[in-house]
Amino acid sequence: MASSVARRLGVFVLSLLAASVVIFLIAQALPGDVARIMLGNEASQADVDALRAQLGLDRPLPVRYLEWMGGLLHGDAGTSYLSGAPVSELIAPRLGVTLWLTGLALVLAVLVAVPLGMVAALHRRDAGGFVVSAVAQVGMAVPAFVAGIVLVAVFSVRLHLLPATGYVPLRSDPLGWARSLVLPVVALAAVQASVLTRYVRSAFIDVLTEDYYRTARAVGWTRGLAMLRHGLRNASLSLVTVLGLQLASVLVGAIVIEQVFVLPGLGQLLLEAVAQKDVLVVQGIVMLLVVFVLLINALVEVAAVALDPRVGEEVA
Amino acid sequence: MKRLELGVGVTLVALVAAMAVVSFVWTPYDPIRIVPADRLLRPGPAHLLGTDAFGRDLFSRLLVGARSCLSVGVISVGIAALIGVPVGLFVAQGPRWLARVVLRATDIAQALPALLLAILLAGVFGGSTTTAMVAIGAAAVPQFIRVTRAGARQVLSSDYVAAARSAGIPRWRTAWTHVLPNIGALIGVQASVTFAMAILAEAALSYLGLATQPPTPTWGRMLKEAQDFLYLQPGQVLWPALAVAGGVLGFNLLGDGLRDRLDPRLREAA
Amino acid sequence: MGRSKRTRRLPLIAAVAVVAAMVLSACTPGGAGPTTSSAPARTLTIGATAEPPTMDPMAVPAAAGSQVMLYNVYETLVKTDAEGDLQPLLAQRWEVSSDRRTYTFVLNRAARFADGTPVTAQAVVDNIMRIKDPKVAAKSGTVVAAKLVQQMAIVSSAQAVDEGTLRVTLSRPSNGWLYDMSSTAGMVANPAGFRDLASASAGSGPFALDRWARGTSVALKRNQAYWGTPARFDEVTFRYYTDPTAMTAAMMSGQLDIISNLQAPDAIGQFEDPARFKVIEGTTNGEVVLGLNNATPALKNIKVRQAIASAIDKKALLDTVWNGKGRVIGSMAVPTDPYFEDLSGVNAYNPTRAKQLLKEAGYAGGLTLRLKPAALPYATRAAQFVASQLREVGVTVTIEELQFPNRWSDVVYGKADYDMSIVAHVEARDLGTYTNPNYYWRYNNATFTKLYLEADQAAPDQYVPDMKRVARYLADDAAGVWLFVLPNLVVTKPNITGISQNAPTLSFDVTTIAAG
Repeated sequence: MASSVARRLGVFVLSLLAASVVIFLIAQALPGDVARIMLGNEASQADVDALRAQLGLDRPLPVRYLEWMGGLLHGDAGTSYLSGAPVSELIAPRLGVTLWLTGLALVLAVLVAVPLGMVAALHRRDAGGFVVSAVAQVGMAVPAFVAGIVLVAVFSVRLHLLPATGYVPLRSDPLGWARSLVLPVVALAAVQASVLTRYVRSAFIDVLTEDYYRTARAVGWTRGLAMLRHGLRNASLSLVTVLGLQLASVLVGAIVIEQVFVLPGLGQLLLEAVAQKDVLVVQGIVMLLVVFVLLINALVEVAAVALDPRVGEEVA
Repeated sequence: MKRLELGVGVTLVALVAAMAVVSFVWTPYDPIRIVPADRLLRPGPAHLLGTDAFGRDLFSRLLVGARSCLSVGVISVGIAALIGVPVGLFVAQGPRWLARVVLRATDIAQALPALLLAILLAGVFGGSTTTAMVAIGAAAVPQFIRVTRAGARQVLSSDYVAAARSAGIPRWRTAWTHVLPNIGALIGVQASVTFAMAILAEAALSYLGLATQPPTPTWGRMLKEAQDFLYLQPGQVLWPALAVAGGVLGFNLLGDGLRDRLDPRLREAA
Repeated sequence: MGRSKRTRRLPLIAAVAVVAAMVLSACTPGGAGPTTSSAPARTLTIGATAEPPTMDPMAVPAAAGSQVMLYNVYETLVKTDAEGDLQPLLAQRWEVSSDRRTYTFVLNRAARFADGTPVTAQAVVDNIMRIKDPKVAAKSGTVVAAKLVQQMAIVSSAQAVDEGTLRVTLSRPSNGWLYDMSSTAGMVANPAGFRDLASASAGSGPFALDRWARGTSVALKRNQAYWGTPARFDEVTFRYYTDPTAMTAAMMSGQLDIISNLQAPDAIGQFEDPARFKVIEGTTNGEVVLGLNNATPALKNIKVRQAIASAIDKKALLDTVWNGKGRVIGSMAVPTDPYFEDLSGVNAYNPTRAKQLLKEAGYAGGLTLRLKPAALPYATRAAQFVASQLREVGVTVTIEELQFPNRWSDVVYGKADYDMSIVAHVEARDLGTYTNPNYYWRYNNATFTKLYLEADQAAPDQYVPDMKRVARYLADDAAGVWLFVLPNLVVTKPNITGISQNAPTLSFDVTTIAAG
């Protein structure tokens, strides 16, 4: 057991290293010269070169990579060239926004998908199930940003119920915070709920053919009760795995939603940093996202083993 | 109901394809010619769906947009399949450690989804249809590797492959003559789902301004340009939105329908 | 239908409904929708387009910093008023010597920086020297944008005659210098605060920097000890929107008091209800230029340049691209410039002539040009229009939108790897850029440069006619195609007053605004 944990940890670290090299190389390839951007177009080449040297941009790639990694190990992601602020200081306030957005969207998606998926499974041969499946299909087909724009048009502009844009920190005004997140969370959750509903549905359909379910039915349990007792475990396994797989796409979906609702999250910072060639900020954000996704997926593996020990054999 | 799924899927995909084909021989108007006098016309006999802010016929642009939709899908799926399928086949027959390394690599790659990759690539090379297609295709490679490997392993474990092997037929030939034809449908399912994803990703990238350059009409770009008119002429947003949703729905349903017709043993791989 | 399922699900749905009801009802009692400007604190929320990259407006060439800071936080010796005329600010009055090289400024002795220290002649000298010499700036740990260094290069000396009198000597007479001094280059910061300019303001204006929420907003707070007319607001917030649709939605839902400049002019119809909105239409300094790379083989040829200019119907472009707001100009001058005249008749729309000129230039068989507009709303739209019209005369145009500012600066500005580009030039009186052969349009014309320098050094009464000649020369030579001048489209709530119709400076001047 201990050796298997150690091996997994080793693999996890190797994965991170591989990811960091790729991210570093892509970020370094961003065109444009940050020193030129800082000094403006009229600056002389000599001034620009001097600033490049001052920023350490004239040193070879491997040196800069090692320096970056060394910093990361000490919890230091470097300093933004453009704003002069530490990268971690730029990311920290954004991270909260993105985590709230994605976290709440996932929770909402699960809360919607589990009951809907169950209904769809139980009624898979009649109209009710058909409607749920059809709605889920349509939900997957509508671009999230279109859903967002329409939500703003209806709930903010027409009805004046919720703010159209912006974010209010939880600590300064909890109610304002909740109101600022309702529409973005709904827009982001709609797609995820549709995807999850389909997985929950097929997980429950699998249950319907299992012996234990038939037995429970045979001894007089209602369909719903039999399903809740026996199906939830099976469905939760499937759900956890899918959630792990979907996490990356939810985080990235948040980039678009942040743009629609002008939320100061990681996505907005990333798009800006890419445009301005603020390389260390780009590296920092992408690395953070990748670490987060890989970490959650490692945890999902562990959770899957915990939910069903048989899985362990297949995954290892 | 299963039949209905496949039927609707095939119909929608055929509709998109038909729009694209028709656009090559006929559009009511030039889709990129700007006519200031015809700006923002409402739907009517002259312009079936009205015109956009440049006086261009919306219907014509929707037709031509189907081309971009298809070409983005075909090329990104092509990139993913051309890399993913051979690698998957190879890994399925290769040693166990190789499979582990490759599968782990696909895990890492999945932490860099299409949109994130496209944002980075657009930063490096500038936003264009090409960078969008490459990013979407590259991001889908891991899925193709996994599906191909899983399917190939199912087929390789079957009796007739074992028979062919023992008859001395080399591995690459069994892969070519036995495995590939048998997992073709499986790859078709994956291609269909990836296609739907590619349409959505292109739309999102167009919204962020990182995909196709004007004046080439794409549905995503039309959506972006139309959003200023959401409150004045909702139809500007409605039609391209319907087109995107229809295309995605079509390919998703097609994939689902195909999956249900698969050999049950392969269905697990899908 | 399983009974148990229903009972298990109901409480959950009920809980969701309760939370939703709480959240939704939070705003309904007031009835006015989500509003940021509630009593008792007097606040003003302004929607703007570009966020400043730093809080030091003098450090980077971006105009966004000056939009917030100029006149509101940092004051200048002289101020450009709504009509484009110079007015006293920190300088009570000023005199120009007869050789027009020496300026004597008498400072307003009441002027104080936010920390209470008086604005002395020596403080102004320190500012001028910091901007003039990058080494001096570096000593205080700051950077100064090269554009400002260039504007100040003409100063040969600056000295404090006494506490309240300042004398500046120029190396040659210039009609432009004092004008530059009324903008970013002339901002006077408290020398004690030089080191922290990037994060803390050190101005003498009615407002001071309060907080900068990166990616979202910049908030200014009232300078309690302001030496002039006190500010009318306790807090002024600039909120940033790159997406014009999001900004109009925010305004329509009541989140904003003002849209500083509407980037979706077609949306103006949404603000027609006078009970809810007021729309102000004026003009700006932003010439939308179809920049031509004069160093490329095709565009070196004046006939090709003239052909391009006459292939484009500028009025129709303005109507299509910017809903007819703004106006056609015809050269690098805007209506608020004293030397402005409408030159849209030069190389006017005439596709037949365009084809003829192309034929004479040897491009009867066609010509392919790369158009690389900045990825900004007006530029990308104008690019599509230009491409469509050039196609009519046989010029094939491929468009590549470039992220602004980075990618555009790199490709077009830095490497001049383009044939045509579109971007707005927002600085005031920026005709002189055509005298720099290294500027991205690579326009190298000795005659033009001579004419321009003559005009800049001309006697005041000769300045306007001389500059008219310069602008006309540029138009005749089709050094670029001046598509239109961006309008100043301000949308406000109906109770907001005092916004000037035109925006002749980079500043969004809050000092004149009041909320009734």
